[in-house]
Amino acid sequence: MNSKDPKANNETQGVAGHGSFFQQTDLSREEAVKATDWVRKHVDRRTVDLGDRMDDVREHMYELEKDGEIIIHRITDEHEPQTVKTLFGWEKKIPTKQLWHHKSCGQCGNIPGYPTSLMWFMNEFGYVPGKDYLDETDQTSCTAWNYHGSGIGNVESLAAVFLRNFHQAYVSGKQHGHELGHFFPLVHCGTSFGNYKEIRKYLIESAELREKVKKILGKLGRLVDGKLVIPEEIVHYSEWVHVMRNRIASELQKIDVSNIRTTTHVACHYYKMVHEDAVYDPEVLGGNRTAIITSIAQALGAQTIDYSTWYDCCGFGFRHIISEREFTRSFTMDRKIRVAREEANADVMLANDTGCVTTMDKNQWIGRAHDQNFSIPIMADVQFAALACGADPFKIVQLQWHASPCEDLVEKMGISWSQAKKNFQEYLKEVENGNIEYLYNPELAYGGQA
Amino acid sequence: MATYAEMQQIYDDIRGDFRYDSELNGCLNCGICTATCPAAHFYDYSPREIVQLLWTENVEQIYDAMQEKIWACAQCMTCAARCPFKNSPGGLVAIMREVAIKHEMQSAKDVLRPFGRVMLKLITTGNQLSPDMIQPDHFPDWGPNIQKVEGDLSVLRKAIPVKTLQTVETAWEVSLKTSVEMYTIWEMTGVMKSLELMDENLFDVIEDFIDEKREEYEEWLEEQEDED
Repeated sequence: MNSKDPKANNETQGVAGHGSFFQQTDLSREEAVKATDWVRKHVDRRTVDLGDRMDDVREHMYELEKDGEIIIHRITDEHEPQTVKTLFGWEKKIPTKQLWHHKSCGQCGNIPGYPTSLMWFMNEFGYVPGKDYLDETDQTSCTAWNYHGSGIGNVESLAAVFLRNFHQAYVSGKQHGHELGHFFPLVHCGTSFGNYKEIRKYLIESAELREKVKKILGKLGRLVDGKLVIPEEIVHYSEWVHVMRNRIASELQKIDVSNIRTTTHVACHYYKMVHEDAVYDPEVLGGNRTAIITSIAQALGAQTIDYSTWYDCCGFGFRHIISEREFTRSFTMDRKIRVAREEANADVMLANDTGCVTTMDKNQWIGRAHDQNFSIPIMADVQFAALACGADPFKIVQLQWHASPCEDLVEKMGISWSQAKKNFQEYLKEVENGNIEYLYNPELAYGGQA
Repeated sequence: MATYAEMQQIYDDIRGDFRYDSELNGCLNCGICTATCPAAHFYDYSPREIVQLLWTENVEQIYDAMQEKIWACAQCMTCAARCPFKNSPGGLVAIMREVAIKHEMQSAKDVLRPFGRVMLKLITTGNQLSPDMIQPDHFPDWGPNIQKVEGDLSVLRKAIPVKTLQTVETAWEVSLKTSVEMYTIWEMTGVMKSLELMDENLFDVIEDFIDEKREEYEEWLEEQEDED
C-alpha cells in the first residue's frame, strides 16, 4: 500500500481527507490546542524550530565540490562581501563589488529605472565599469516567468538556462583581462532569484538532473574542467542595496526624506520561495519580516508605515497579467493600493521586483471604473534611493515609464518635476542627434575594453 | 472526457515527478494556504483542495481540477511559505500544469492561447517582455497615459543610459550566440515538443525563426573565420 494512501493514514493518524473523505480528528481540547499552538507560533513569528527541520543546501553543495562533482563560483575577499543573516539565522555572503548584472526582462522592458539606478549607484561609489561591474549581452532571462505562467518548460530547461547564464558570469571576466570567477552574478529579478535558488536546490539534490543537464552544458561548451559551475550564493540586487544602505545614506544622500511616508511590498518570490534564504535583520521590523526594502527606507530616514495586507501578493500571476487581467487589477487595487492608501496614507509604495511594480503601477487607472479614485506612486527601493541621492528623475530613475503618480512623490521630495521633465525633453533632442549619455562605455557590453 | 485509465495515467505522471514527494508532505486541513491565497479571493480555487485531492489520490477529481482550477493559481508561492507541513500547493500546481500539457488537455490549450505572444517572444529572444509589447493598444485598461513622456519609442529607449537596454523588440540586447545556445536548450529539454503539442501554428512560426537565426549565426561564424 502506498504510504500516501488515505486509508493507511486514516488508520495511523485518524485525520485525512477532503469532502466525503474527511474525518474528524477526535482530539481532546488540550491536544487540539497543543497541535494548533505549533501552527500559530509559526504564523506569528518565523521561529528557528522550522529551521532545525530544514537542510542548508549549501552544505551539500560544498560536499559535491569536495567530491569533485561541481565547481562552486566562490565569493572571495575581492568581492568585498558583507555577511547578513537569513530567516533561520544562517549566514549569507553578499558581494558588493565585481558584479555581473543579470538583468530582468520585465525591468528592462518596462521599468528600466531599476537597472539604471543600480548602475548609477555603483558609478557614484566610484566603481569602474569592466572591473567592478559588467553589463553584457551574453545572457538570457531565467525563463521562469513563462514557466510559472504556462507550464511550458520544465526543471531541466530551467536548470540548463540557469547554468548557462551563471557559467557566462563565471567566465565573463576573462575577456576583460581578469581571472575566472572575477565577476559574481547579481540577479535583478525577484522571480529569477527565487527560481534560481529552487533550481540550485534541485541540482544539488538530484544526481540524475545534474547528469541530464551536464550533457546539454557540455554541448554548449559551458562546462569548466568537465564540471558544472554553481554559484556559492544566489544574490538579489535588493540585498546589495540592503548591505550598502548605510553607505548610500551617509555618503550619497542629498535630500531629506523624513517627511515621506513609505510602505513596502516585498516580492513573493524574494522571500516566499526558498524562504530560508531571504535576509532578516533583528534591527529591522523586529526581525519578524524580511529586512529588504524597509532597511534602505529607514537608513535614508523616511517614515516606514505598516499596512495590514503587507503579506499579500501583488496579483501579478505571470499569465494573469497578460490574459486574465481582471484578476490582476482587482486584486492589486483591493488588496494593495486601497489598503496602502487608506490605512497608511502612503506617499509611495516601494517594491523590489519586476512584476510587482508593473502590476501595482499600471493597474490604478482602471480602478476608476469602480469608483476607486485613489492612487499611489509605485517604484523600486533603488529608484527611491537614487532620487534621495540626487539622481535625475528622468535620465537615471526613468520615471517616465511609470503610470502611477510618481510626480507627486518627486515634488514632495522638493524636486521640480516640471523642470526635470523639460530638461529631459530637451535631452531627447540631443538623443535624436546621437548625443547619448552612458553610464559605461557601450563597447563593454560586447566584450570590448572600457 | 478521459477514461479512468487515462486519468490514472495523468495522476501517475504527477506522482512520478521527482519533486512530488518534497512538495506533498501531509495535510492537517488547516487552510492557512487558502486563507493567504490571492487566487482564492476571485476564483473557485483552493490550494488546500489541491493538496487534499492529491493526498487522497482522487484521480477523477484531480482530473477535474486540472481543467480550470490549476490555471487559477498565481504561482506566488505564499501557500508554500505558510504551510506548517512544508507542502507546496503552488509547486504541485506547476507539476500538474506540465502534465496537463504533456497530455495535450484541451483546457490547457484554451487557457494558453492568449499567452502565445509571450511564448513567442521568450522562445525566440530569451526575453519574455519587450518595450513594443507595453503599448496602449495592447493594454487599454492601463489607461491613456501609461508613460509620462510622449515620443518615438526608439528615441525614448535610446535615452536609457545603458547600451544593452536601448532596444525596442527585446527587453535587452541578447547576443546571437546566446540565442542559438538557448535554442539548443529548448530542443534538448523537450520544450519545443511541449510547444508543438500545445500550439502547432505557433510552433511552426518559432521553428522558422530559429532556423533563420541559426543560419545567420553560421554566416557570422564564417565571416569571423574569413577575417582570421
